[in-house]
Amino acid sequence: MTETSAPNIKQVMRDYFLDLDAAARDPGRRVAWCTSVGPAEVLRAMGFEVYFPENHGAMLGATRVAGDTIPVANARGYSPEICSYLTSDVGACIKGITPLTKAYGIESVPKPDVLVYCTNQCKDVMHWFNWYAREWKVPVIGIHPPNHLPEVEREHIDDVVIQYRKMIEQLEAITGEPLDEQALKAAVAESRTATDLWSDALNMARAKPAPMSFFDSTIYMGPIVVLRGDRRATDYYRGLVAELKAKVAAGEGAVAGERLRVYWEGMPIWGRLRHLSELFASQHAAVVASTYCNSWIFSDFDGDRPLESMAEAYLKIFINRDDGYKESYIERVVGDFDIDGVVYHAARTCPNNTNSHYNLPQRLKNKGIPGIVVDGDLNDLRCFSDEQSTTLVEAFLETL
Amino acid sequence: MTRHTVQVRPTPEPGTEPVFWGVDCGSAEIKIAAIDSTGRILELRKGRTLFPLVEHVHRALSGSAEALSPLAEEQRAVTPDEGTELAARAGHVIYATGYGRNHIKGVHGSLTEIKAHFLGVQHQLELDRDYTIIDIGGQDSKVIRSTPERVDQFAINRKCAAGTGAYIEELAHRLEVPMDRLPGLARKHDSDLTLNSYCTVFSGQEVIKLLMHGERVENLIQALYRSVVKRVLEMTAIDTDTLVFSGGVLEHHEILVPLFAERFDQIETIMAPNAQFCGALGAAVHAMKETQDHGLSHHH
Repeated sequence: MTETSAPNIKQVMRDYFLDLDAAARDPGRRVAWCTSVGPAEVLRAMGFEVYFPENHGAMLGATRVAGDTIPVANARGYSPEICSYLTSDVGACIKGITPLTKAYGIESVPKPDVLVYCTNQCKDVMHWFNWYAREWKVPVIGIHPPNHLPEVEREHIDDVVIQYRKMIEQLEAITGEPLDEQALKAAVAESRTATDLWSDALNMARAKPAPMSFFDSTIYMGPIVVLRGDRRATDYYRGLVAELKAKVAAGEGAVAGERLRVYWEGMPIWGRLRHLSELFASQHAAVVASTYCNSWIFSDFDGDRPLESMAEAYLKIFINRDDGYKESYIERVVGDFDIDGVVYHAARTCPNNTNSHYNLPQRLKNKGIPGIVVDGDLNDLRCFSDEQSTTLVEAFLETL
Repeated sequence: MTRHTVQVRPTPEPGTEPVFWGVDCGSAEIKIAAIDSTGRILELRKGRTLFPLVEHVHRALSGSAEALSPLAEEQRAVTPDEGTELAARAGHVIYATGYGRNHIKGVHGSLTEIKAHFLGVQHQLELDRDYTIIDIGGQDSKVIRSTPERVDQFAINRKCAAGTGAYIEELAHRLEVPMDRLPGLARKHDSDLTLNSYCTVFSGQEVIKLLMHGERVENLIQALYRSVVKRVLEMTAIDTDTLVFSGGVLEHHEILVPLFAERFDQIETIMAPNAQFCGALGAAVHAMKETQDHGLSHHH
């Protein structure tokens, strides 16, 4: 990566977690837990420091601690078939461990004052947050938007806004202060700026060769997940876009001798990112776009109508749309990024983020977009075979 | 079913003409094929996959008697490295395929089994229409939709070893019947039993339970074969009029072929010549094509 004065991703994430840890220890500050595409801007505007268990789940997967913690949750009655972020995280809590200790010297995840989930991605987050609510006797608030929409309509947005207003009342009871409307507008506007920059960064991979691959993006996306509505995310992405622009200008590709361009559909396989990154690179294939990283582009945020625009943006996410929308979305991105083929990850414990189960790859193949389905999982490596998937990917790239 | 035979000509003296080798390093056996620059088959050999892997591959390549079946022609002892070095010195080219393909030092390149089986089949049969290859191996099954020119689409078994050689081996073990007696016993079946389980181990439990209920072994073996066919056909829809069979399991259990055929109204079935060697042959064909197209500049 080119040297610039831009904030460094490791430093941004370190600062975020250390500050969160400090907040959790400070009786004068409050911590809220939030699902990754939940209403973080409201929480920030109300003065909460925000922690995202899904991000922690990804860390448990990437550091391969999940292999030790999933079975602990399984033994407590959480099935191996459900979200392995949930089972990894609950298992880690029961065992009293966290990768934050090794990474940042933080003893435990920050204890929350309130838990806020939104089921726009899946129902498992509800069960996940309810576990902590029972375990720690912490209030839990759920947003239940309409799911799997072909189009997002006025009534859907109104439904969510009503739920947001009720949530705000409950949060005001916790903080003892009314929501500062100006602060909310500012948080949503800040989120919009950051997400636009993230979108710009991802779009840099349209260049040939692509300056950034999916495997880089899964790291760079940290701030848009955990720091939406916070200036630090905006600063980070401004720097990232500048770096990527320089790379494109220099003709520097993420993969040496880029020969093929691939779309990754579905969750990352956190514990095998390096293996997969090397596998694609060895075939001179660059994974230039993905559903997963694109899911943090929220172009509908509007500081002038904060709640409505949040509702709209968080309803419109890919995972919350119907199959027809998904098909046309992938088709469009494949065209925009001049992609040769799609690798669909069938994540065993994440059916909601798996789009190969209902014939989508075949429909896209009929439109001239070849694809292959790799079985695996976000965190549970018992569901993933290195040998089988290597042969699958190599053979697929041979056919392109 | 159509049958083909292929002439094998003797390997020329080292250094007299180029020879292209394919090594198919599978989970159960290492298969070796050599062809000349016109594509004629010079040698086919096989040996068990043993470890250390590289040593056994090199023995297999050099034709050492220790690791090989009686197909081996040259039977003098060589050091592990000598096999590939001999071949390379004499202007020979070696490509590897199979699960062990990336672990063999000294080869010129590698390709996946999918492409290798396609090349091995197409090289021998020269089909002029779209067809589907069913390749059942030791630990996986593949369905490869092909055109005369290329692999169009493929599927590999995704859950468990059901429908593979390992599955047949496990159930033969449960039934205490040697593998080579399975087809003969299956022909004596008198009912069409079905095994339901997806999982190899649970299928074993089903078999034990049926034995306890007094079911005939012959019927259980027939059910085992039908189960293999079911598991393979579940992998992907077959939309060609021609099925080509390759791989060691189908070569040794040809009884599977009519069971596949009966699942379709009208389909032509062809047992690939040298079915177990199609992967190795395909690798040799790839070695030949790469050399003829690009020369030998890349030595990995």
